[in-house]
Amino acid sequence: MPAPARTNREALMTASAAQHEAAARRVALRVPWRSSTLVPYVLISPALLCLLTFSVLSIFVAAAVSLTNLDISGLADYTQVHFIGLHNYQAMFGDPAFWEALGNTAFFVTVGVPTLVIGSLAIAIALNFSRSRFFRALKAFYFVPAITAIVAISLIWGNLYNSQFGLLNWLLSLVGIAPVQWLTDPTIAKLSVALVAIWRGSGLDIIIFLAALQAIPPEYYEAAAVDGAGEWQKIFRITVPLMRFAIFFVTVTTLINWMQFFDEPYVLTQGGPVHATTSMSLYIYQQGFRYNEFGFASAASIVLFAIIAAVTVIQLRARQDVDG
Amino acid sequence: MNRAFGKHITATALIAVAFWTAACGGSTPTPSANTDKGPIQVWTMEDSTSFTALMQDFTRQTGIPVQVEAVPWSNVNDKLTTAVASGNGPDLMQVGLSLLPSFESAGALLDLSPYVKDHPGLQSSSYVGAVAADKINPSGKVLSVPWVSDVRVLFYRTDILNAAGISSPPTTWTQFHDDAAKLAQRGKGKYGYYIPQWDSALPVEFTWEAGGNLMQNGKVTFDTPQFKAAADFYISFYKDKLVPTASDFDQTQGFISGSAPMIISGPYLAAGIKSTAPQLDGKWNVAVLPKDQAGTSLFAGSNMGVWAKSKHVGASLRLLDYLAQTNAQLNWFKSTNELPTAKAALADSTLTSDPMVKIYTNQLQDAQLLPLVPKWDKISQAMLDSLNSIVLKGSDEATTLASLNATVASLQS
Repeated sequence: MPAPARTNREALMTASAAQHEAAARRVALRVPWRSSTLVPYVLISPALLCLLTFSVLSIFVAAAVSLTNLDISGLADYTQVHFIGLHNYQAMFGDPAFWEALGNTAFFVTVGVPTLVIGSLAIAIALNFSRSRFFRALKAFYFVPAITAIVAISLIWGNLYNSQFGLLNWLLSLVGIAPVQWLTDPTIAKLSVALVAIWRGSGLDIIIFLAALQAIPPEYYEAAAVDGAGEWQKIFRITVPLMRFAIFFVTVTTLINWMQFFDEPYVLTQGGPVHATTSMSLYIYQQGFRYNEFGFASAASIVLFAIIAAVTVIQLRARQDVDG
Repeated sequence: MNRAFGKHITATALIAVAFWTAACGGSTPTPSANTDKGPIQVWTMEDSTSFTALMQDFTRQTGIPVQVEAVPWSNVNDKLTTAVASGNGPDLMQVGLSLLPSFESAGALLDLSPYVKDHPGLQSSSYVGAVAADKINPSGKVLSVPWVSDVRVLFYRTDILNAAGISSPPTTWTQFHDDAAKLAQRGKGKYGYYIPQWDSALPVEFTWEAGGNLMQNGKVTFDTPQFKAAADFYISFYKDKLVPTASDFDQTQGFISGSAPMIISGPYLAAGIKSTAPQLDGKWNVAVLPKDQAGTSLFAGSNMGVWAKSKHVGASLRLLDYLAQTNAQLNWFKSTNELPTAKAALADSTLTSDPMVKIYTNQLQDAQLLPLVPKWDKISQAMLDSLNSIVLKGSDEATTLASLNATVASLQS
């Protein structure tokens, strides 16, 4: 803030205003010309500090730990911790369970992300047709899974899916269909777990899409209607193009979430049967917190981090290219 | 879904930071046997009510207050890791036998060998042979003391077996398989037997029964004819469709409904059946395990250990003495159905007069511990995954077992 020019108005200044000016001058003296560029950094510094401590520093610590044999005995006695180079990475790449977890994660992403993005967009557009009480109730209905505790979800879905006394198999038996091994057949279990995650994840995505939909000015639709556009044309010529940023945002966040897929297999199947639903995150968790191999688990988490970072950078680049 | 990755990295980092700080602190407390008035803190497994009740008597006798904290089995590893990393633990803790190697390699347990001669509760001769001091401790040390025992026996439904023309429970592997086949013929949704897919001890029991041993030169190996026989026996139940393939099959429900009329499990199942299905009383019984070369079962259960950094070692030792007494061991059995480990308690007439308990104590005479090696959890999971991929995914037996042997060898290299 530049010091104000001395004018007659100075005489009219109250004492407090004079103090303000003095304070401003002191600031101005300390940071002669950069103050306006510094303020934003000061404002974001608390958030930045948290990010540095809990995310960036953690990644560096994990990277360091991944080069050691840290396990539970090393935790008790640090002289047992040794630098072992890339041995953890070698062991991991030689572990068929690692590749299976990577393959499962790829499967979950391929099935989950498109279904969730397209499904949520379709539901959001449908919900946006009316503001009646019924539609408002529907919105709440779709959002409930997003705010339900994962433990409750696992209990309910576990019982629905159960092969001995589950509701789904009982319903199937009413129409004469043989029982399905929802969580115990290696292939079906993958889909069952993904279905719960899609159901649970859709609430948040729908809300984001609805917000974006409501930001589209109604004049566009009126103009289109005057020009004789039908409902489908309005959706594909106006709605979807104007929602490009929301779709991009939802795709990026959903993709990251699904690459870190963890909760549903953890509570429903513990990664079974025979690793069929073990995602990368669950693999890392088992190595670290079941077998206490913190070095190995850190190596696996660094690999997952690298994959997610690479995919996200590619997406951001792709968007820049599209936007020119 | 979205919490996982950051959480793991953060947790790993916090543990790493914590262990640097923990390494700087710590001192050796000096126990003073009879002057130490606690209070002491005890970690027990799953449920604290029964233990708290037992402790009222101990506090009355000694004046030492005891705080009991229950740790769920599924959380025990997290609890141990944080305790080790932070240096803050209880004074005394229950350690499941399968977790003993983790606790020992974490340096969580105090060596009690200097106190053995003054404390009858620490003396190995008081306990059953399977948990003799040399079997549960690294050489020359006493890191934990037996507390409760658990042994696998055969549970069977007398009514269903009789209806299928089977007058007595199977005593050999051949009879076991044949009886299971007969029972499975009862129709759709009816099986002969149930194999829990998470149970890594079962193939080990089969190996012992085939006359084998898993440990060779201090290392675990599955590359033996006896393990092959055990694997074949395990697989045969699936191949002939005698067991359910669903991994979420409920053992207790399956036994009560009669869907799985034969089950190999521990005394806790008896407690479960009695409480959920009292109407089945008299329609089921237990028997020692069917034999191949031997009838060896799994000896499971828990020990008690003193936390390495406890400041109340003296009071903790007095509690260990108390827990070893016949009365305490019998009271515990009465409230939880968990079997004693002290010989005197096992020979007490309140136990020997119960025919079912008699079967348990007989089987205890022929029961072994799982290998107490730190990597056992990982090794046994690899073994179980191999067997289950053969029976559930149809993987080739020879190649799967060959790759299991390679994995197990590399895990121990």
